[in-house]
Amino acid sequence: MEIAVERGRKRRPVGSGIRWTSVVTTLFGIALIVLLHWMVFFWVNTEATMGIVQRIFYVHVPAMWVAFLAFGIAALSSAVYLWLRDERLDMAAVAACEGGMLFTTVGLITGSLWGKIAWGTYWEWDPRLTLTLLLWFIYLGYFMVRAATENPERGRRLSAVIAIVGALDIPLIHVSVLWFRSLHPQPVVLDTRQPMNLDSDMLLTLMIGLLAFTVLFLGVIGFRYGLERSRRTLDIRLARRTA
Amino acid sequence: MIYLRQLWAIAWKDLLIELRSRERVGSMAGFTALVGVLFNFAIDWTAVRPDEIASALIWVTVIFGGTLGLGRTFELEAQDEAFQGVLLTPAPRDALFLGKVLSNYVMVLVVTLLVLGLFGLFFALDWGDHPIVLVGTLALGGLGFVAVGTLFSAVSSGTAIGQTLLPVLLFPLLVPVVIYGTSATGRLLVGRPLDEVEGNLRILGAFALVALAVGATLFRYVVED
Repeated sequence: MEIAVERGRKRRPVGSGIRWTSVVTTLFGIALIVLLHWMVFFWVNTEATMGIVQRIFYVHVPAMWVAFLAFGIAALSSAVYLWLRDERLDMAAVAACEGGMLFTTVGLITGSLWGKIAWGTYWEWDPRLTLTLLLWFIYLGYFMVRAATENPERGRRLSAVIAIVGALDIPLIHVSVLWFRSLHPQPVVLDTRQPMNLDSDMLLTLMIGLLAFTVLFLGVIGFRYGLERSRRTLDIRLARRTA
Repeated sequence: MIYLRQLWAIAWKDLLIELRSRERVGSMAGFTALVGVLFNFAIDWTAVRPDEIASALIWVTVIFGGTLGLGRTFELEAQDEAFQGVLLTPAPRDALFLGKVLSNYVMVLVVTLLVLGLFGLFFALDWGDHPIVLVGTLALGGLGFVAVGTLFSAVSSGTAIGQTLLPVLLFPLLVPVVIYGTSATGRLLVGRPLDEVEGNLRILGAFALVALAVGATLFRYVVED
C-alpha cells in the first residue's frame, strides 16, 4: 500500500499528514483534563478512609484504562497488519504503542505515589502495579525491536509479533501475579482491592476522568499517526530523489 | 507423517551439529555451574537454609543459562545466508519452528538435569518425596520457556543487535512460568503433598501448549524474508 498523498493529484506539503480532527480532539481532551483537575482539587468530596491522597485515583485509574486500551488497539492492528499488510495499520499500532507507553508511565508514577501514602512504600508488589510494570517492559521491547531493525518492513513484522504475543500473555501474567499475591500477606494499611463505594460526585469525577483521558489519547494517537504518515512520505520522496 | 519427518529432520540437524560441536550445551553448562559457584559465595548460608531458596536459584539459573543457548538458535544459520537454504526446503514454517523448539528443548533439558544434579551436590539438597514430579515440573515449565524463547530468538536474530535483545523481550513474558514453576518446585522440595502442586502443573502445561501454538502460527511472519 503506497501512501495516498503520493498518488494524489496535488502534492500536499509533508506537514499536512496531521488532520484537523486530531487537533480538535487533542484540544478537547486537554480542556477535559483541565476540567478534571478542577473537579479533583476543588469540587469532589474527600474520601473518608484514605483522605486527600485518594484524589490521585481520578488520574491513575483513567491513565491505566487508556494504557490497556492502547495495548488492545496495538495488538489488534498488528494482527490485521500481518494479515493485510496495509501500512496504515502499522502506523496505527505505532501510534497506539507510543501513547500506551506514555500513559503506562503516568499510571506507574501515580500508582507509586499513591502507594507511598497508602502502603508506606513507593513500590509494593501489588498485582496491578506489577502487571503495569511488565506491560511497560513489553512496550519497551516493541520499540527496541523497531529501533534495531535496518529494514523497516522487517521491523514492522517483528514488532507486530511482539504486540500480539504480549497481548496474549497479559491475561496469564495478570492471573499469575494475582495468585502470587494471594500467597503473601496483604498490605496492612489499606487493601485497595476492596470495591470502593463511590458516591455520585466521585463517580462523576471518575467518569469525566475516563472520558478526558480517552479523548486526549485518541487525539494524541491521531497526531502521532499523522506524524508517522508525514515521516514515511518524506522517506519515500527522499528515496526517489536519491534513486 | 511426512510433517513429523520434516520436523524431526530439522531437529536432528541441529542436534547433530550440537553433538559434534558441543558449543551451546557446553556454554550453557559452564555458565550454570559457575552461577552455582557464585551463589555459594554470594549467599550467607547461616542466614538462609538452602531448601528455602533452592527452587528460586534453580529456576533463575535454568532460565538465564537457557536464554544464553536459545539466543544462538539461528546464529549458525545466519552465516553465509544458510538460513535461506533451510527456508527453501519443502518443510512448512510451523514444522521448522517446532523442530527448532524440539532441538532447543533437548538441550535445555540436559542443562536442567545438570543444574539439578550440581545444585543438589553444592547445596546438599534433599530432593523431597517426589523427585520424578520435581523433574517433570521443570520439564513442563521448560517447554513453555523454550517455545516462547525460540520465537523471540528468531525475532532478535532479525535485528541488528541480535541476542542482546532476547532477555528484554523474553523475561516479562516468562513471569507466569517463574511464578507457578518456583512455587511448585519449592513445595516439592520441602515435601508437600502432590495435590498442592497439581494446579501449578496444569497452568505450566497450558502455558506450554499456548506458547507452542502461538509460536507455530507467528513464526512464518518472523522469517518471511
